[in-house]
Parts: sequence; structure tokens; C-alpha cells
Amino acid sequence: MTIVGEGAEGSAATAAMEVEAFKRLYPLQFYERYLDQSVRPDGRPLNRARPTSVNLGAIPTAEGSALVKIGHTTMLAGVKLEVVVPSTTAPDQGQLAVDFQMPTICSPLVRPGRPAEVAWSVSEQLSNALSSSNFVNLQQLCIVPGKAAWIAYVDVYCLDADGSLLDAALLAAVAALTHLQLPAVKVTEAGRVVPLTSQNVDGDQEEEISEKKSEDQIVKSRQRLERRPVPIGLTCVKHKNHLLADPSAEEESTLQTSLTVVMDSSDRLVSFYKPGGAVTATSATVKDCIDLAKKRVIEVKDLLEEAYEEAFGAEMMVE
Amino acid sequence: MVKGRGETSASYAVNASADAADTALKRGGPVQLLSPNGVRVDGRMPHESRFVYLKTGAVTAAAGSAYAEVGQTKVIVSVFGPRESYKAEAFSGIGRLNCHVQYALFATSVRGKASQGQEEKEFPVMLHKALEGAVMLHTFPKTTVDIFAIILQSGGGDLAAVISCASMALADAGIAMYDLVPAVSACCVGKEVLLDTALEEEKWSDGEMMVTCMASRNEVTQLKITGQWPGAITKDALNLSLDACAKLADVMRACLKEQAEGDEDE
Repeated sequence: MTIVGEGAEGSAATAAMEVEAFKRLYPLQFYERYLDQSVRPDGRPLNRARPTSVNLGAIPTAEGSALVKIGHTTMLAGVKLEVVVPSTTAPDQGQLAVDFQMPTICSPLVRPGRPAEVAWSVSEQLSNALSSSNFVNLQQLCIVPGKAAWIAYVDVYCLDADGSLLDAALLAAVAALTHLQLPAVKVTEAGRVVPLTSQNVDGDQEEEISEKKSEDQIVKSRQRLERRPVPIGLTCVKHKNHLLADPSAEEESTLQTSLTVVMDSSDRLVSFYKPGGAVTATSATVKDCIDLAKKRVIEVKDLLEEAYEEAFGAEMMVE
Repeated sequence: MVKGRGETSASYAVNASADAADTALKRGGPVQLLSPNGVRVDGRMPHESRFVYLKTGAVTAAAGSAYAEVGQTKVIVSVFGPRESYKAEAFSGIGRLNCHVQYALFATSVRGKASQGQEEKEFPVMLHKALEGAVMLHTFPKTTVDIFAIILQSGGGDLAAVISCASMALADAGIAMYDLVPAVSACCVGKEVLLDTALEEEKWSDGEMMVTCMASRNEVTQLKITGQWPGAITKDALNLSLDACAKLADVMRACLKEQAEGDEDE
């Protein structure tokens, strides 16, 4: 397309059009031109993650919830509690059920009745990361050993898919679990678990964290989950000698080799995931990834702290 | 706000006739929907709508999208296309709409409760029928526009919120329409019409109504009335709902305008 005699504005428009055409026709070369200059098309340096935000308590119908954004990638996680009988193999433990869903709204690639393939792998990695990092003390979810325990359903919904899905999903799940409050309950003589309303609990009881036995009744007060080292993920893509942290969907599809590191906030490696791809990773690459992840963990941990204080700050002062 | 049976019937008698109180009792409604001085469960007056928050462009991966918050109800609608129709579908000279609505598992007080009911199956059909008349289907022949919705929190009037939000998303995607399609629900308790139904009211009212219309053309695209409606107040309820639709349409238009002006500035 040529525009003749349109002045400076016209030629700028033509240039923009040509860049767009070049990007569509030769996406890889388009990226390589940028990468050789150590910068990305969106202006980020190679090792920087996109702006990240964490909001706790987005959904009041869930006992714990969080909305997380990494760039355009948006995840909404909700935790719902139900009472179950603990399994015979672990009578003093509750359960954690993690599910990741990509509803049809999040990406043009997902159609009704045909879940995206990536959803399965993210779901699997997500529940692995949460269980192997021991982020939740399952014993805390127990109400009466062998009789009743909480099952916490963590449902993570992807509202906008723009790359690095596991990182965002894991952050949302972790944030929703920090926001979670186990409600105050009492166990009746018949063994039923009933919620304590404000009428039958006086102020003193509510403040107590330990369980209390009185006249064959077990009363458990409202409590938050024990704070434990937080698992945090970072996805990188490798192209030739370049390592890009926190890729967007476009970067993920153009540069095909991705590596995902999950580390917890006490610097332990939780999982490392490299599902094939065109480029093989050397041990130096693996080390680079882990170094990037370590830096990311510090950033994200601060974000989580901020969000926590924003949500509970006033309450903590009262206590 | 749970009251004993005796109290419920007594307070109904203040607002409504004795037989209306009886119906409420027969259905076992333990919730008092209107206080003796005519205030609703959430503190609104009977003909007062809920607070509405609208935002377009919520999902960047979609061609057009919108987020709507109507009181406690929160929904997101994404629009994809026009794109190739499914292979299995017969040839069509005009465009198609493909609708899909789902509830998030944590949208209701009991997890996954909404997915077990009929709503998830009924909503896409209702959404399709409500929008069909408003979209200029001839402008995208042979192709399909996908309208996908998710209800993140169910707070009453879910379908109405989805329909209003969907027409915003269609506008955001640049799909040609004759007019925006605002939707409003109402319910009746005894002889009183409650506009813009909340969750509690949806559950315990005697009858429900949902109106979707093209406000500036003054045309109703969908009208659904269920339950018991005394003949005399049905017309009032319809007029009230249409009026609320017109107001909602103004809010929707203002939101789209704001968005478009913002885009121009960039």
C-alpha cells in the first residue's frame, strides 16, 4: 500500500503499517530484531516481568478470594469451604482441592465444550506446586480428628489469557488462600458441625485461637491459615541466547521454548518444568532461570504483603 | 433477616392483602421482603434500581468485552468474531450468534449450585433470543459472532445483567446493532412491585418478570413473566421496567461514549 503526498503524518502511518505487516509475515525475525537490541516489543528489558497487581476479597460469596493481574493476564481465584469426613489414612488432616479453569471468555482459542489443552497442564502443575510446597498446613483444616474436617476448594478462573498462565494462576491461588478465613464453628453432641453466630459466642471466645472444650462441645474460633513459605512461579522463554522473563501470549507462541520455575519464599526449588521445545536448555540456562525466579519471588512476596495489609490492616490494629 | 412464621404473615398483612400473605406462607417463605415501612431487604425503596458499574474492554484477548456489576451481581461478557462458522452448520446467508453462559463455581453461596440447575442451559437460549432482534445479522453473512459470558457472583437478576453486558460487549467489538439492549428484572410481592430483583427477592417473591428492550426504538425484544401476578399490577410493573431500561440505556451509552473519547485521546 502506498500513500502519495500525505506529508509527515502519512509517511508515519505507512511506516506503522509496514512494521505491522513485517510482524505478521515474519514474526520470528521481527522479534529477533528487538532481542538483538536487548529490548522487547512492549518496551520491557528481557528480564523484567510485567506490572503485577494483587487484590484480595473480590468475591464475597467465597470464603477467600483474590484477583491477580500480570500485564493483561487476569486470574480470579475463590476458595469455598465444605465439611467432610477426613480420610482414614489421614484422620487429622483436611483436604485441598485445586482446579484451574479457562472459561470461554478468556481467549479466542477456547470454545464451549472444548477446553484448551493448556488448561489441563496448568491445572496439574498448579495443584502439584501447592501440595508439594506444603503451603497449607492440612492439619489446621481438621475440626475433629477422624470425624470432621474442612475441604478447601480452590477454583482459579482465567479471565484474560495473555501468557505466563501458571505464574498468575499460582499467585491467585496463594493470595486467595492467604485471604481465607476458617469460620467459627461448634461441634454438637451429635457430631454435627454448625456455624457459630454472633449470638452464641461472646467477644472473648472469638478472639481465642486455640480450640476450647466445654460440656462435651468443641468450639473452634475464626482463624486464618498459618503463614508458610509462599510458592511463586516464573515462566521464561528461551530463544537462541536470549532468556525472556514473564512472556506474553504472543511471545510464548512465537518463541517456542518455555521454562517454568516455581520457588518458595525461603529459596527452595518447588518445581521446574520444561515441556520440550525447539531449544535445549543447558545447565547455565537453568541456573539463569532460577536466578531470575529468585528475584521475582522477592518482588511478588512484597506485593502479597501489601495486599494483605490493605485487606486486613485495620483489623490487625484492632487486635 | 430471618423471621419466625407468625411475624412474616403479620408484616405481609400490612403491605398486602390477606390472601397474598397466605400464598407467601404456603410457599414457606421465611424471609420478610418488605419491612412494615416499605423498605426492601437491601435497604432500597420498592421502585429503586441497584447501583450499576459498567466497563468495556475488560478482556484484551477478545474482539470486544464488557464487565458489569449490578448490585452484588458481577458478570463478564466477551465477544469473538465475526469468525468462521462451525463446519457442521448449514449454509446461512446472514450471520449467526453463538451464545454461551456459565457460572463460576464460587458464584453462589453453595459451591457449584448454579451449574446443577436449569439456568446454565436456559440462559444461552434466552440471551440469544434477546439479542437476535437487535443485531444487524446481515452485516456479517456466513460468519458467526460468539458471545461468551461468565457470572462471577450471583446476586439476583443474573440473566438481565448478562444481556445488558452482552450488548455493551457487542458495541465494544464494533458489531452493528439497531440499538443497545438493556435488561431489567422485577418481581412482585403481594400487590407490590419490586424493581431490579435482588437474590433474596428472586427466591421468595410471588412472581418474576424480565424485560429486555431497545429503549430508543421503544421495542421490547424479550419479555418473560413467571409466577403469580395479579392482573392489575402487571402493566405497572412492565411500565416501571421499561422506564428502568431507558435509564440503564443512558448509563450504557454514556459509558461507551466515555470509552470512545478515551480511545481518541490516546
